[in-house]
Amino acid sequence: MKEVLRLDHVKKVIKGKKIIDDLSFSVREGEIFGFLGPNGAGKTTTIRMIVGLMKISEGDIVIAGKSIKKDFTKAIGQVGAIVENPEMYKFLTGYQNLLQYARMHEGITKEKIAEIVELVGLTDRIHEKVKSYSLGMRQRLGLAQCLLHDPKLLILDEPTNGLDPAGIREIRDHLRLLTRERGMSVIVSSHLLSEMELMCDRIAIIQNGKLIDVQTVNEFVQNRTATYQIETGSLGDAAFWLKSEWNIVMSKEGFTVETERENIPLLIRNLAAAGVDVFGVKTISKTLEDRFLEVTNK
Amino acid sequence: MGKLILNEWTKLFRRIGTWVMFGIVILMVIGMGTYLKYDESNHPPQENLNWKQDLTVQLENDRTSLEEVGQNNANLRTFYERQIAIKEYQIENELSPETGQNVWSFIGEAMGAIGFIGVFTIIIAAGIVSNEFSWGTVKLLLIRPMKRTRILLAKYLTVLLFGISMLSATFLIAAVIGFALFGLPEQAIPHLAYVDGQVVERSLFMQLIGEYLLGSIDVLMLATMAFMISAVFRNSSLAIGLSLFLMFMGGTVTMIVASKYEWAKYILFANTDLSVYFDGVPLVDGMTLGFSIFILFLYFALFQFLAFFVFAKRDVTA
Ligand SMILES: Nc1ncnc2c1ncn2[C@@H]1O[C@H](COP(=O)(O)OP(=O)(O)O)[C@@H](O)[C@H]1O
Ligand SMILES: [Mg+2]
Repeated sequence: MKEVLRLDHVKKVIKGKKIIDDLSFSVREGEIFGFLGPNGAGKTTTIRMIVGLMKISEGDIVIAGKSIKKDFTKAIGQVGAIVENPEMYKFLTGYQNLLQYARMHEGITKEKIAEIVELVGLTDRIHEKVKSYSLGMRQRLGLAQCLLHDPKLLILDEPTNGLDPAGIREIRDHLRLLTRERGMSVIVSSHLLSEMELMCDRIAIIQNGKLIDVQTVNEFVQNRTATYQIETGSLGDAAFWLKSEWNIVMSKEGFTVETERENIPLLIRNLAAAGVDVFGVKTISKTLEDRFLEVTNK
Repeated sequence: MGKLILNEWTKLFRRIGTWVMFGIVILMVIGMGTYLKYDESNHPPQENLNWKQDLTVQLENDRTSLEEVGQNNANLRTFYERQIAIKEYQIENELSPETGQNVWSFIGEAMGAIGFIGVFTIIIAAGIVSNEFSWGTVKLLLIRPMKRTRILLAKYLTVLLFGISMLSATFLIAAVIGFALFGLPEQAIPHLAYVDGQVVERSLFMQLIGEYLLGSIDVLMLATMAFMISAVFRNSSLAIGLSLFLMFMGGTVTMIVASKYEWAKYILFANTDLSVYFDGVPLVDGMTLGFSIFILFLYFALFQFLAFFVFAKRDVTA
């Protein structure tokens, strides 16, 4: 598959501090790519470099074959982006805002604007001042602004921030539609993982400016050990070796342990030998959230 | 570029504040006209029948001054020579000085509004870049397929356009009000210019336009400085504060420095009033029109270089 975006050993140093350290990954045509990391991981900084708002200290970023460093105008012409919040001119109407951006690209017709406004569902309110818009509507206007020039790559920085579940669902549906129908590629950043699971095809995890892992969502959820909830009576002295050998976490009913399935019988035998009453064993299905914490806590 | 300027213009005029600025300037001109009309009806102008004698007395004084100070100060010598030539010309050609107000003299009076135009243009120049940063909209503005310098240039041209619009509005309103309240002068009066030792008659209309433009040079320079500060520091308060402070104090401070040190002639404000080369005396002995234009150009280039260089290079973290 063709790649739409490639980061090549990208580094960013601000005031002697390494914010982004040797980041490389690529985004393929037509995929929704999740960019995941806790707050302060460097997601926004990376996005700022991709769209040329920040200079790249070392390395290069290539969008649709053009380097953002050497060929800024050609590269950025293929990108639609919202960096952090979708801040628009509040004293203009939604339509006047879109006109501002339409004038900065070649050949965007009135019909095109109307089509995009329809797509994001703002037709009824587009001639009202942005001041009066809810966050969800601003988010939609932000999306419209990205789509005017039919970019190959859409970049949304934490688009679900502050939205209610319905708004989040709406964004998700939009992105699916755009990738399927228009063949766009999308990068979505987030620190919320439950969202990514439903939205993305592949996910990159960054922490402290470093790439930890890139995986497809399926690999991500499958490739794992499981957590088991063991319901027990009092542990007594057994708590010591359980903690040191099995790395258990105490809970109300007993403890949880994270291990492979094959190890469970051994654990039960050991517990029985130590005289601990076992009332039940339960598998807790692990969410992406847990998996994420697991990866970032390494 | 036209589309970018249209964008900036829209952003300016979709905000009430900009209209208020125009409103204030227009009201000021109207107020000035009303006051002068009221004043004129209380003290009707009287034709001075002895104007020739009066001018002759003034001529004598000018000649004595020329003898006394003209020897060692070239600029003062030019000044008095010019005064003498023009007065002689007036007497010879029976051009009595106009006593009452008329549309032309009122347009001249309305130049007092240029101070306000200056304040407003500086405020616009100070905000046009830094607002985008404080609004956060700069992130959407700078991810378009055009160079940052192009966008900045459009913003600068918009500031110029704004200043010129205010100036033209003032001129036009003053012409309309002046004509309505005071009418045309009884006889057409030419402007007397002194060129290469000769007195020549010039169109008063063109002369007034020239005076408006010359009177706006310090506004142009300070607005350019405010624009530069705004682009470099991304802070409109700093840009407004510093520029307005210099606008009000710069001239005075320069004058104080000039009374002690000759290097005062390199200060921006020693050079912003080019009209001294046409009917006045420059601040420091030996300054010429060419010198002042050169200094103005240097400052202008410095401001522009800083603005464009820094704006194109710096990371956008808004
Ligand atoms: N302009 C800046 N100057 C100094 N440090 C910065 C700057 N911008 C971001 N940082 C630091 O870089 C790190 C990454 O920030 P950011 O990219 O905003 O993270 P994220 O978007 O993943 O929450 C943070 O530790 C932040 O403090
Ligand atoms: Mg962020």
